Amino acid sequence: MKIRNRFHVCLMISAAIMLIALVMSLLGYGINYGIDFAGGLNISYNMGQTFSVDDVSDALSVQGLSGFSVSVSGENGSIAQIRIPQLASEDEIQDLQLALEEALLPSYPNMDTDNATASYVGPVAGATLVRNAVISVLLATALMLVYIALRFDFASGLAAVIGLLHDVFIMLSFMVLLRGVIQMNSSFIAAMLTIVGYSINNTIIIFDRIRENNKKPELAGQARDKVVEVSVRECLGRTINTTLTTLVTIVTLYILGVDAIREFSLPIIVGILSGVYSANLINGHVWALLEQYRVNRKKQGRLKPKKA
Amino acid sequence: MKVNNRRRKKLSKRSVSLFALCVALVLTLAVGYLGMNGAWLDSRGLYKLLPWLPTDDVNNWPQSIALGLDLQGGVYVEYEASMSDEMREQGYNFDVLLSTTMSVISERLTEKGFTEATVSQLGTTGIRVEIPDVTDPAAVLDLIGSPAKLEFLDPDGNVFMEGRHLQTAAPTKDESGVNPAISFTLTSEGAELFGDMTAKSVGKNITIMLDGVELMSATVNQAIYGGNVLVTGSFTQAQVEDICLKLQSGALPLELRQDKLDTISATLGVDALSTSVRAAMIGTLLVMLIMIVRYRLCGVVAAWALCIYIILLFLFIAVVPGIQLTLPGIAGIILGIGMAVDANVVIFERIKEEARAGRPMIHAVRIGFKNAMSAVLDANVTTIIAAVVLLFHGTGSIKGFGTTLLLGVLTSMLTAIVITRFLIQRFVRVFTKTELFVSLRDAQTPTLAKEAK
Repeated sequence: MKIRNRFHVCLMISAAIMLIALVMSLLGYGINYGIDFAGGLNISYNMGQTFSVDDVSDALSVQGLSGFSVSVSGENGSIAQIRIPQLASEDEIQDLQLALEEALLPSYPNMDTDNATASYVGPVAGATLVRNAVISVLLATALMLVYIALRFDFASGLAAVIGLLHDVFIMLSFMVLLRGVIQMNSSFIAAMLTIVGYSINNTIIIFDRIRENNKKPELAGQARDKVVEVSVRECLGRTINTTLTTLVTIVTLYILGVDAIREFSLPIIVGILSGVYSANLINGHVWALLEQYRVNRKKQGRLKPKKA
Repeated sequence: MKVNNRRRKKLSKRSVSLFALCVALVLTLAVGYLGMNGAWLDSRGLYKLLPWLPTDDVNNWPQSIALGLDLQGGVYVEYEASMSDEMREQGYNFDVLLSTTMSVISERLTEKGFTEATVSQLGTTGIRVEIPDVTDPAAVLDLIGSPAKLEFLDPDGNVFMEGRHLQTAAPTKDESGVNPAISFTLTSEGAELFGDMTAKSVGKNITIMLDGVELMSATVNQAIYGGNVLVTGSFTQAQVEDICLKLQSGALPLELRQDKLDTISATLGVDALSTSVRAAMIGTLLVMLIMIVRYRLCGVVAAWALCIYIILLFLFIAVVPGIQLTLPGIAGIILGIGMAVDANVVIFERIKEEARAGRPMIHAVRIGFKNAMSAVLDANVTTIIAAVVLLFHGTGSIKGFGTTLLLGVLTSMLTAIVITRFLIQRFVRVFTKTELFVSLRDAQTPTLAKEAK
């Protein structure tokens, strides 16, 4: 009974996180889409010194642009990042850059015009990216289901895939909750698929133990939930150590890394934690439920012909 | 006598193991030394690990490890190609035109000296162009987008038609079906101009110029109306293909819409690379520390295997053709370090269980490996599945991540299973005290027995 309660509490925690994220999205505070998904133009200049955001904004306004944002980054606060959500035509990029440089150079003589970066993403590319992401995750998930169903049984496959989708949704939810810290760009797709592959490792290690323990005579008469609990506890040492070693490397990467690396490592950290959580506290019990359901169905099936 | 014999046998087994360990150590050091100081790989240049220590000196990077655009700096553009309704009605094959467009772009770039540029297909209708080491993206984009100047000259040397009047040019065969020939189609305006001109100049020469250089000259046999032109003569197949490509470069056969453009400065790449490498080194040291603290001598073996993993992985990245190291790719390697250790952890936990159940270490190792193997294999296969999906379904740097992840998992299976097993089996023969491998102090009655009560 105690275990059941813990399982239910975990389900509620996950559901609450996803619900909060959903409500935030519906209220218009959804995922902070980066340029890869939202489209638009990003330009970044090293101004060679600290600069005034207003100067850059003015130079942009003169070009007849609106809706743009200018932010300060870099160790010395000398890098200007300009984000323009919409452009009338992609042909304007070079003209715009030239005009900007012309307007800003008098006030900022050390501005590095040779090493400016410009990223432009058309309106259609974002939609293609979303479609590709969904297809990739579904494809990987389907392959996992097939593999685990073959190696274990269908109930295990289904339980593992439910856990995996849980982790993906938790990752997406945290992208909403952490919208002030992180943008979603194409590297999120790689992060998501890494977690699809990695979080299932935890599940497999525990399911492997369950499979082994299922055969043990000492546990034959026990409820499946009990077997799950014993198996999870036996794997605890491995769970802690593996999580530690993986997190140590990826957290180091997050702390030291550049922005592009952070956009990638933060979702992975969330995914790893969510993967450990779901593998230990959720997936096994989902399997136990499915297994119980199957056994009950089987019993009923066996009973009916007897009645007839 | 008998006892003495057994003792000697045991001793000799121990010294053989010790010897094997020494050989392994020397081999590791040798490979490590080679990695640090360089080994010449034929046609791929110098393979070196040493310059991977945080450096801002781009010239010091190993030439044999190809860097992606995000680390090297450069420009990439993604185009969405589309075919006009007119051409669809005429029954043109989109896939053929797409590959022609790609070769034309590639030709234009190579001709202007961007020999390292790559042009690849993206999905079914997209084209991705990557040009490394470019400082002025605007010039390159103009080059891709704007056509070469194609001019048709009448017998008197006056321009009567231009590239925009040409729709397609394709290699074909003449009436006999044997000799290579060139067929081109003109726009309706072009068809009219060409018809009028050919009617006036039967028996005379029409010349086609590309950027001021004569591409070919042909004698007009008859007036040609309708816009479908066949040029015959003593061409070789190669000549025909070359001319068609050049004719096409006057006008790309498909309409291209620029979907994505990214210029990455080389300095940004250097920063990203050196911070990532620093993170990788710190992360690796921390992982080794954790492993040694938690698993004692087994941890030492894991740390050893991890060194071999890193040396091998970079060797594979240098040797396997077509692998580019990208920013997410480096993240993949760092993640792989954590995951390589995962297999070790699973195995060591199993060994610990057996040792705590009172088995001597030699047997504990054997049984531990056996029990852990199914879980380790399954866990690796699922990661491989994810990596393969990324590899075939990703583009650009995401694809680079898939490649390094896949390579990392495969390498880690080798080091974590094969090499670790070899080393541990020797270790338990050399160091016979179980306490050196597993702490028995906090050993409890096995959980299972307790649960069953």
